[in-house]
Amino acid sequence: MSERNPDDAGGRIESKRERESVAGTADAERETEPLLRIEDLWKSYGNEEVLRGVSLEVDRGDVEVLVGPSGSGKSTLLRCLNRLTEVDSGHVYLGETEVTGPDTDPNAIRQQIGMVFQDINLFTHLTARQNITLGLRKVRGQSKAEARRRADSELDRVGLLAQAGSYPAQLSGGQKQRVGIARALAMDPEVMLFDEPTSALDPELSNEVLEVMSQLVAEGMTMVVVTHEMRFARGGATGITFLDEGKVIEHGPPDQIFDDPERERTARFFQSIRHE
Amino acid sequence: MSDSSPDGVRDRLGGSSRRIGPVLAVLAGVAFWGWLLTRWFNDWVLARVGVGPGAGENYLSPAPFEAAAETFEGTVATVGPVRLPMNWLATLFDGVALAIDIAPILADGAWNTIVLTGVSIVLGLFIAVPIAVLRVYGGPFRWIALAYTELIRGTPLLAQLFVLYYGLPLAVWINDLEMVGRGFVPEYAFWIAIIGFTINGSAYQTEYIRGALESVDEGQLTAARAIGMTRLEGIRHVVLPQTLRYGIPAWTNELVYLIKYSSLAGFITVPELYYRASRVASSTFEYTPIFTLLALVYLGLVLTATDAMGRLERRVAIPGLGQVGGRQQGTSKETRTDADETA
Repeated sequence: MSERNPDDAGGRIESKRERESVAGTADAERETEPLLRIEDLWKSYGNEEVLRGVSLEVDRGDVEVLVGPSGSGKSTLLRCLNRLTEVDSGHVYLGETEVTGPDTDPNAIRQQIGMVFQDINLFTHLTARQNITLGLRKVRGQSKAEARRRADSELDRVGLLAQAGSYPAQLSGGQKQRVGIARALAMDPEVMLFDEPTSALDPELSNEVLEVMSQLVAEGMTMVVVTHEMRFARGGATGITFLDEGKVIEHGPPDQIFDDPERERTARFFQSIRHE
Repeated sequence: MSDSSPDGVRDRLGGSSRRIGPVLAVLAGVAFWGWLLTRWFNDWVLARVGVGPGAGENYLSPAPFEAAAETFEGTVATVGPVRLPMNWLATLFDGVALAIDIAPILADGAWNTIVLTGVSIVLGLFIAVPIAVLRVYGGPFRWIALAYTELIRGTPLLAQLFVLYYGLPLAVWINDLEMVGRGFVPEYAFWIAIIGFTINGSAYQTEYIRGALESVDEGQLTAARAIGMTRLEGIRHVVLPQTLRYGIPAWTNELVYLIKYSSLAGFITVPELYYRASRVASSTFEYTPIFTLLALVYLGLVLTATDAMGRLERRVAIPGLGQVGGRQQGTSKETRTDADETA
């Protein structure tokens, strides 16, 4: 967090307060501790160092957007947060629990940290509804009726109740990703991780996914989002973290990072994507 | 075949005469299974209560066909200036008479072949699935699965049967069991054949299932683990249901092989189809007609199996998984929706 200067932090908390008063989830006790704390993560594949000492804090209700050139370690960082990838060293804490602790059950942790994938990965052989009920029934041990009710309410939340009986192949890319979000939400996660959720979709279909994500922001969901959608980053994020070569280059509120970055590397990156 | 609902065997037989083909195939199927079922019913049920011709006895007498064959023997039909030799008619009637004679034996052998194949393929599947999972997801224990499949696939089935039958004390153990060989429980050789085919079939099925496992996208298991499933739960509930659907065509192949390989059980005295037919052939020296009839029975069993598996595949088909209707892209039958999807 050495990159963040005190002024930015002040601005950031203010913007969060605004949103929390809307969502009505302000909680003085929780306010003091960040919900997600990432300390000095290192990860390498063979000789290639992907993460080189990444640290980050995400408070409850925060929407942290990770940006950076491809290969900067954004996706690996996300996958380390729910231990789909094991870190080489460093710590991740979710509230009081150390996610990376040797005694922590990754399966229990993953229910609290929902994940949405770039390639969506809906279960191909199951309908939209069954995609959601599977986890509720096999992981949560809910009854068929209970799981079905929950699945339908999640599908309703993403506006796809009418498609409950459709198989993934019968849905559009945007609809599939919305089911993917509903599937993760059904497990009642405390944090949602989005790994380039719209990169596989054409712009028209991206919008319906971004709308669902904005709705989650409004509901006060804590989110860590890897995305190239700068409109979402500007509108929904409480903080932007710019990563390059496995390191946090700069971190701050969206306005500052976009319009007045401190680092030359950050400025160059946003220059280049604006030209696209 | 422009028909949008291809229908396995019937379709293949259909070809250009699409109206007659399916009808003939259904008639042939009804005749084949009608014969087998009535035969079994007669031998096991009716014969016990003293109704009908009795177990293993012919329904019809072959005598009139033999007499007909004799009258055509060496005759020549004269139609105007053309003289046609009629010996082939004699051969045909002889064949029919022979078929009537050995039909009860073939039906009995077919039952044993069906049970051997059916039980072995199902048991083999239960062994093959965990071994294939071990092979693909087993990490450092992969070599166990690899060693198993390579050992079994690398040695001849007949040699495996002989080792089980003669080489191991297995035969003695099974033979010592009270119930073996009594009533409907078959002799010990039959059990050894089932063990042999189960082991052998499981190794081949492992390879088919491994291929199907590897064709399931890795992201599927990742997504399952991301909602808190263990690896094993993810494999069980997400990967395997897809795998088994992908695997049906290859698995059908193994079933078809096993129906025919089961004839090797004859070498350890199991009275299956081939064994029964070859015994009759060696005592009557009517090799050609008997083995032709034998081949027809095997053909009936195999076509039934492929048709049944085709139906199963269509029944469990899920949009977007596999290619039940055949590939659409790149053919003249390309549909509008497919074109849209690929666009």
